[in-house]
Amino acid sequence: MNNDNNIDFKDLWKKQSVSQPDLTDLLARLSKFKKAALRSLWMINILLSVTSVFIVFIWIYYQPQFVSTKIGIVLTILAMVVYVFVYNKLMGDYKNIDATQPNQEYLQKLISIKKKQQFLQTKMMSFYFMALTLGICLYMYEYASRMSALGAGLAYGITLLWMLFNWFYIRPKQIKKQQEKINTLIEKFEEVDNQLRS
Amino acid sequence: MEFEQIYKMYWDRIFRLCMGFVNDYDTAQDLTQETFIIVWQKLETFRNESAIGTWIFRIASNNCLRQIEKQKRFPKSELPIHLSEEKQHSIEPQIQFLYKCIAELPETDRIIISLELEDIKQNEIAKIVGLSEANVRVKIHRIKEKLTQKFKENEQR
Repeated sequence: MNNDNNIDFKDLWKKQSVSQPDLTDLLARLSKFKKAALRSLWMINILLSVTSVFIVFIWIYYQPQFVSTKIGIVLTILAMVVYVFVYNKLMGDYKNIDATQPNQEYLQKLISIKKKQQFLQTKMMSFYFMALTLGICLYMYEYASRMSALGAGLAYGITLLWMLFNWFYIRPKQIKKQQEKINTLIEKFEEVDNQLRS
Repeated sequence: MEFEQIYKMYWDRIFRLCMGFVNDYDTAQDLTQETFIIVWQKLETFRNESAIGTWIFRIASNNCLRQIEKQKRFPKSELPIHLSEEKQHSIEPQIQFLYKCIAELPETDRIIISLELEDIKQNEIAKIVGLSEANVRVKIHRIKEKLTQKFKENEQR
């Protein structure tokens, strides 16, 4: 098996001590895993239902007169729902990559999903902030119209100031943080993918 | 094939593959368990298009590749001294050295050489990794040369 001074790697390889855990260990972990998956599914559904109930509640309880208020409410809630939905969809795609394909195809899938995520994260974050700002401004209009000019100016001024702070400070910071994380990951996956091409 | 049968037949082999990838006993144990969770979930979808071994090793190696992401999240160097390394597994230094050398190779080379040492036919390795057979042969040859060299350097020291 061994010619001249070659080392028998296969023999060494197989001498690695291995302790196969009992199958019950794995089964225990499996049931925990299934419960966790079920729980996360419930979380999303509960979150979405609670938001829907909330929207209906405001609508009925406060009886807004202006159509702008109604649009504002819908827009605000919609922003959140869309955000949660897209985010979960992405996570789901990522988790459900077919693990039985060859490494090369698997890596390419990983990279393509991460790139999609990279693109969507930036777009989603901007959409979210924009819809939220617009929604809140519309929502406030009905109540501001009943205030004095000073009160209305103050209410809008403070809200918009807060939104501007979010847009120009929090949003870019958040995007940068996400992008850095995802970029290093894409780079790494691409590097591994390139190993197969050399 | 029954899951239990697969588990008994493949656990050791999958463990060694994962161990070659990360060279850390506990992480390898986790990766192996994760692999079998996926196997368990997907077993129904397995149609005998490929050998069961090829199928399982694909899952295992893909799972190893994915762990790159977790590594990023918890850089090993920042962890406190690994307690598990001192206890148990007092294996011969030569074996330890082999696994260390393999875990230092580029990621895909780790997978290829581990499969080769596991006595998997080169055409099967090609199917697992997604390369041509000729390509796999060349790579295995180069990796073995690299390992031999490392072993020789180690002896001289």
